[in-house]
Amino acid sequence: MPYFSEADARLIIRQTYGEVQSANAEVAEAIYDREELERLPYGSVALALGVGHPVRYAALKPGETVLDLGCGAGIDTLLAGLAVGSEGRAVGLDMTPAMIERAREHVTSLGLTNVELREGLMEAIPLPDGSIDVVISNGVLNLSTRKGRVLAETMRVLRPGGRVSLADLVITEALPEEVLKSPAALAG
Amino acid sequence: MEPVLLKKFFNAGFEEIRVVDRKPFGLAELARYPLFAPEFLDFLRKVVPSHRHEELVYSIVVTGRKPEKGGEEDG
Repeated sequence: MPYFSEADARLIIRQTYGEVQSANAEVAEAIYDREELERLPYGSVALALGVGHPVRYAALKPGETVLDLGCGAGIDTLLAGLAVGSEGRAVGLDMTPAMIERAREHVTSLGLTNVELREGLMEAIPLPDGSIDVVISNGVLNLSTRKGRVLAETMRVLRPGGRVSLADLVITEALPEEVLKSPAALAG
Repeated sequence: MEPVLLKKFFNAGFEEIRVVDRKPFGLAELARYPLFAPEFLDFLRKVVPSHRHEELVYSIVVTGRKPEKGGEEDG
């Protein structure tokens, strides 16, 4: 039984991510290679909030179309856009308008013309069936109260033979109930 | 939990499901994130047994593939 309703969870997450500020690149430096970070706008690096490196394992090829579920300020969307090149396309999807706005600034700053950003829910991805070659996501699935629905939507938008590379946090042993009930834990 | 997550991938119809990266994620890692206030980290230090502070959760990367034909089920 979830500790938060879907509506409450979205409200908490939108507020937390909409207001988040970061003054350093500590998270990004623990995850990404220095060479990767040097290519990106500092704002996208400072606002990296992922927990792994899904792009590293996605084996992206030039010309592919990539969807980044919960793109945040855009670090993985930018890396995907660079990897697929001008013949490919990267789509960043996020439900938090402030994050989409930040990601858009970073795309513009990097001068990428093959990246598109969309506001929307990963439980109802606003893209046609079979339109995506690769879905990536970084530390976002755990934010959803309907993970099965998110994965079903991921399956729907992928073309047959399409790939997914998803980083997330999992517990190996139950956490105390006080933690699970905490809005701060939910948003992280 | 990891097996639950992998089962959701399976139920969604993915094949070739693999955990390609797996790292412990403790309080020190959480402290890097601006999402967590110091008060929340202090709260975790108090309520989570100390032997779990370095391995509170795991960061994993899961990969999978949509079958060439079919495979669309809701998980």
